[in-house]
Amino acid sequence: MSFSAQEIEEFKVEATELLDVAEKSLLELDKDGDFKDCFDSVFRGFHNLKGAAGMMEFTALQAHTHELESIWMSFKDKQSIPKNYVTFFCRGIDASRLLLAGEMVTFDYHIEDAEAATSEVYKPIELLKEKSSLADELPESAIDEFLVECDEILDIVSSKLQLMEKGVFDKSVLDDLYRNVHSLKGSAYLFSFNNLGDIAHAMESSLEKVRNGTHSPSSQLLNFLFKSLEVVEAMLKRMKARESDEAFIPVIQVIVKALHKASEFLIETEAKTSVQIDEPSSSLPPEARVNEDAILTMPAPQVHGSKEKEPEGLGSIRVPVSLLDSLMTLMGEMVLVRNQVLQYSNKTDDLEFLSMSKRLNVVTSEIQGEMMKTRMQPIGNVLEKFNRVVRDLSHDLKKNIHLVIHGSDTELDKSLLEAIKDPLTHIVRNSCDHGIETPEIRRQSGKPEAGSVTIKSYHEGGQVVIEVSDDGKGLHKEQLLKKGLEKGLITSAQAELLSDKEIFDLIFAPGFSTAAQVTNVSGRGVGMDVVRTNIEKIGGSVELSGRAGFGTTIKIKIPLTLAIVPALIVKCGTGTFAIPQVKLEELVRVDQHSSSKIEILHGAPVYRLRGNILPLVDLNKLLGISGSSYTNYVDASINIAVLNAENITFGILVDEIQDTADIVVKPLNKLLRSLQVYSGATILGDGSISLIFDVTGISKVAQLSQVRSRVKEEESNKMSEIQEFLVFKLGSATNHALALNYVQRLEEFKFSDVETSGDQRVIRYRDKILPLISANVQLGYPDSEKASDTFPVVVIEKSGHFYGVVVDEILDTMSTTLEVKDPIKNHRGIFGNINMPDRLVVVVDPFELISMALNEQAELVAKPRDIEIGSRADHKVVRILLVEDTVFFRKAIKSVLDKRGYEVILAQDGIEAIEILNKKEFKIDLIVSDIEMPRMNGFQMAAAIRKNPTYTNIPMLAISSKADKQYRQEGMKAGFDIYLEKLKPEVLLAAVAELQRNNKVAA
Amino acid sequence: MSTSPNQFQQLTTFYVGAELFGIEVTKVQEVTGSTFVTPVPLSPMFVCGLVNLRGQIATAISLAELFMQKPSEQNEQMSVVCRHEGSLISLVVDNIGEVVEVNLEGFEKTPETIPTNIRRFISGIYKMNGVLLSVLDTESIFKELSPVGDGATVKSNL
Repeated sequence: MSFSAQEIEEFKVEATELLDVAEKSLLELDKDGDFKDCFDSVFRGFHNLKGAAGMMEFTALQAHTHELESIWMSFKDKQSIPKNYVTFFCRGIDASRLLLAGEMVTFDYHIEDAEAATSEVYKPIELLKEKSSLADELPESAIDEFLVECDEILDIVSSKLQLMEKGVFDKSVLDDLYRNVHSLKGSAYLFSFNNLGDIAHAMESSLEKVRNGTHSPSSQLLNFLFKSLEVVEAMLKRMKARESDEAFIPVIQVIVKALHKASEFLIETEAKTSVQIDEPSSSLPPEARVNEDAILTMPAPQVHGSKEKEPEGLGSIRVPVSLLDSLMTLMGEMVLVRNQVLQYSNKTDDLEFLSMSKRLNVVTSEIQGEMMKTRMQPIGNVLEKFNRVVRDLSHDLKKNIHLVIHGSDTELDKSLLEAIKDPLTHIVRNSCDHGIETPEIRRQSGKPEAGSVTIKSYHEGGQVVIEVSDDGKGLHKEQLLKKGLEKGLITSAQAELLSDKEIFDLIFAPGFSTAAQVTNVSGRGVGMDVVRTNIEKIGGSVELSGRAGFGTTIKIKIPLTLAIVPALIVKCGTGTFAIPQVKLEELVRVDQHSSSKIEILHGAPVYRLRGNILPLVDLNKLLGISGSSYTNYVDASINIAVLNAENITFGILVDEIQDTADIVVKPLNKLLRSLQVYSGATILGDGSISLIFDVTGISKVAQLSQVRSRVKEEESNKMSEIQEFLVFKLGSATNHALALNYVQRLEEFKFSDVETSGDQRVIRYRDKILPLISANVQLGYPDSEKASDTFPVVVIEKSGHFYGVVVDEILDTMSTTLEVKDPIKNHRGIFGNINMPDRLVVVVDPFELISMALNEQAELVAKPRDIEIGSRADHKVVRILLVEDTVFFRKAIKSVLDKRGYEVILAQDGIEAIEILNKKEFKIDLIVSDIEMPRMNGFQMAAAIRKNPTYTNIPMLAISSKADKQYRQEGMKAGFDIYLEKLKPEVLLAAVAELQRNNKVAA
Repeated sequence: MSTSPNQFQQLTTFYVGAELFGIEVTKVQEVTGSTFVTPVPLSPMFVCGLVNLRGQIATAISLAELFMQKPSEQNEQMSVVCRHEGSLISLVVDNIGEVVEVNLEGFEKTPETIPTNIRRFISGIYKMNGVLLSVLDTESIFKELSPVGDGATVKSNL
C-alpha cells in the first residue's frame, strides 16, 4: 500500500507530537510527577506511535516503539522508573525521531538491567484489568483522544473486513486488521475500558489463526467480527456520552464465546484460500450455529442522549500553514483597503458611507485580531522542549539543575516561535554550562546544591518578553573585561570607561566566550552574538543583567507578529518612511525656545538628552536627499526621533512627524535590502509606498558605533565628573554660580516682608528667622535697581542654620565637566572660575559669603608655621586619602591639597575608602572625609576604620557642610580627630598640618 | 533551450531609446503606463524606486540606466512587469511594441562587439524584417537585484 505525501506528512506531524508528549511526561515522571498519569501518557505515546507506524508501514519505527513499549510496561507496577532508564527512554525517543526522519538507527535495547527488557507487552496489560476505576481518574481530554483513535481504528478494521469479505486475503490486509484490533485492545485496557478490551481481545484471538496463514476465515467468523464491530461502535457512543457500558456485558459475553467458537472451527487451509468464504454455516457445529442467529439478530442496547455530543470531535481541524500564510497576506491587503477607505471617508459628508466605513473598520480589526490568533501558538511548545535539554545537560555536566517554566501559555506567532527556538536553546545551554556551578562549589558558596534555570514569558506592551534566568555564579565584570582585552575586543583605555551595561554587552560581541574551557556544550565562541543577531533579525532585542555570585538574567523582547507592525510615519525630503515602534524610544522637538539645543561636536550634531549626549543622524544627509537638509541645526525647529538599536541609543533628524499606523510589512528584494537602511516597504492608506527603516542598519550605515565610542568617553567622563551649578546674576557683567549641592531651596520673597534684627536683614521663613545676606554686598558689587517687588533668595544650610543669599536673578542650572580654575585674583568668597565655551562663570563659596556677612573669624587660622611643615613634608610624601562623594568638592579639596604637595588618593564613599585601606597598596598617612555619602557615610566609615588595629591611630579629619554641634559630637565619637566645616582651604590645610604634627609626636 | 526547426516563441517587444528589445511573453505579467514611483534613497541609479501594483510592491528598474545609456527625455514612460520567485520588477521602457512571434531558427548569439553592460543582459538576437530584436535575459536582471554576499545572506548561514 502506498500513501500520499500528504498522508505521510500528517503522520510525521502526529508522530512527532506523540513523541513530544511522551518525552514531556517522561521528564515529568523524572521530576517526581504523578506516576500513574505520566506512566500512562508515555505508554500511550509509544503505543499509539507503534500502531500508527505500523499502519503507515514505517516498520523499523514500529518495531522500535514496540520494543520500547514492552520495556516500558515492565515498570508498570514498580511505581517508579530508575534514572538510568529515564535516560534510556529519552534516547529511545531520540532514536524514534531519527527513524521517523527516515534514518537508519541501531539501538541497543539491552540496558544494564537485563530483566526489565524481557517481559512482554501483554502481561502488564492483564494486570491492568484489576484496576477498574482508572477511567474515572483519567483526564477527559485523554479519553476523548482515545475515543477518536478508536473511531479511526474501527474505520480501518471495518474496511479490512470488507476487503476480506470480498475475498482479499493478502497478508498485508490481515496484518493490518490484526494490528489494529490489537491496538484497540491495548488502548482499551489501558483506559480500563475492560469490556471493550475483552471484545477486542476476543477479536484478536479469533484472527490469530487466520493471520498465521494456517486457517482461512469463515464467513461466519467474518459475520461475528462485523457484529463485534457494531457492538464496539455502540459502546464507543456510550463512552462518548460518558455513560457506563455495563449494558453491553451480556452481549459481549455472547460475542466473545461466539468468536472463540468460530475460530476453533476454522478450516485449515491447504495453501489455497479462495473457496472458504462460501463455506456454508450448516457445516459448523450446532453450538456455533445456534449462536450465530441469536447474535446477529441481537439488538444493540439503545444509546441515549449521545447524539448531541457527537460534534465534539469537530473541535479542531488541520489546516496547512501555507493556507494560513496566504490568508494572512490577504488580511494585510484588506487592512490596506480599510485604511484607504477610512482616509477617503474623511473627505466625504456622505453619512451612510461614513457609517459603513466605520463598520468596515471594526470588522476588519476584528478579523485581523482573529486571523492573528490562527497563527498563534503557545510558547510552551518550544519551552517544554527545554526540560529535556536541561535534564540531559545536567547529566552531562554532572550538575543538578532544575528547569522552572512560567507562562508557557503565552502565545506567539508560529514563525517567530520557530525563530526563537535556536537562540533560546543557546541561552539555556549557556545558563547550564556557564551559569550554574557544580554542586560542590554551590555548597561552598552557601547555595542549595540544585541550581535552577527559570524561563518566564509574558506579554508586555504589545511584545512578548522571555526571561531566562539562572541562580548561578553570574557574570564577573573583571573576567569579562579581561576576556574582552584578551580577544582584542576593547582596549585597556576603553575598558576603564565602560559602564556595567557595556561590559555585559561584551558577551554579545562576536568571538566572545567566557567559558574557561571549550566544552562540548558551549564555549565555542560563536554564540551570544548569533543569538543577538537572530533575535534582532525578527525585530526583537536582547538584554543581559546580573550580579556576580547571584546569577544572570537574559531578557528577550520580541514582537507578537512580523506581518503587521505598529510604526511611526515620518517625512524626510519628499519621501515618507516608517519607523517600527519597537525601536522608537521617544520623540523630541527642539526649537528656539528649547532649553537644550543641538550642538556640533567635531562636526557631528549631538543633543543633550537629560544630561546624556545623544548622537544624531541627519536622515536627509544619510539618505542623500538634497534640498530640505537642515543647514543650521541651532536655529531651526527640529524633530528628533530617538531610536534604540543593539543598545545604541541615537536620534535621527526627520523633517516631519506624521502619524502612527499599523503597517503591513512587504519584503524588499535583496538588492534594496543590502542597502541595510530598509527592512521592507509598506503601502500607506493613500496608496503611496513608504519604506520601512531598519534601525539597526541605519546605526551601522551611520557608523554610530564609532560615534558611540567617542561619545562614550565623554559620557563616562561626565558620569563621574559632571557637576551641577546654579547660575545667577549679580551686580556684575559676569554670571555667577554656586555648586548645586549647597542649595537647600530657591525662594522668592517680597520686599515688604523683610524685617531687620539689629543691622541684619531677616525674613520669617517657616517659623524661623532667615538672615538675608546680599551676595552683591559681600562681593563688593553695586546693588541693582529692582523693578519688581520680590527678590530671589537661595536658601543655604550652614551649621544647622538656614541663611538666605540674595541674588539679582536666578538664571538657570548648568551641568559641566569643566574644572573650576583658580580665580585670577584671590578674593574672599570666590572659589574660582569656570571657562565655559561662550562665557566665563564665577563660582562663589556661599559658606564664605555667610561667614563674611556674620563677621565670623575662621575657626583655625593658617599660620605660616603650619604651612612650612606642610611643605617640609615634601621630601617624604604625605599621602592623604580623600573620601568625598561630590565631584565638585572632591576636585576642590584635592586641588587645595595638591598644591601643598600632598599626594591625594580619592575615594567616592566609605566603602571604597575602606577597600583602599584594606588593599594596603598605599600607605595612607591621613584621611580627610566627607560625612554625607551614599552607601557608607563618614561616621560609619570612621567607626569601622578605628576598629581596625592598623588604623587606630591614623589621623582622620571630617569635612562637612553639616557642621552643627550635634554632628561635630557624633563625628568625634565616631573617631574623627578634627571636624571642619566645608570649605575653607586655609583652615583645612592648617588642620591637616596640625594632625600630621600630632601624629608625628605620637609616633 | 531546444533549437529544433520551426519552433516559435512569442515575445513582448519594447523600445529603450531607439533599440528594440523583447521578453518572452510568458515571463511578462503585465504592461502598465507610467505609475507613481517612490524613490529609494541610496539605491543604485538604475533603481527608479518602488511602485504600487494593486497592493503589490514592485521594484522599478530603468533599463536605460541599467544599460548605462542616457535616459530618454520622454515624459510618458511605460513599464513591463515581470515576476520572479514571488517578487515583482517593473522594467521602465520608452515605448511598447507589439507582441511578435519569432522562429527560433532566427535566433543568434549576441555579437561580441555589443558593449558589455548591455550584452550581459541579453541572451541573443532575432533577425526581424528590417530590424534586429535583442532578447532580454530577465534572469540576469534579477541576479543584478540579488547581489551575492550581502549581509543578510551571510548572517542566515551562521
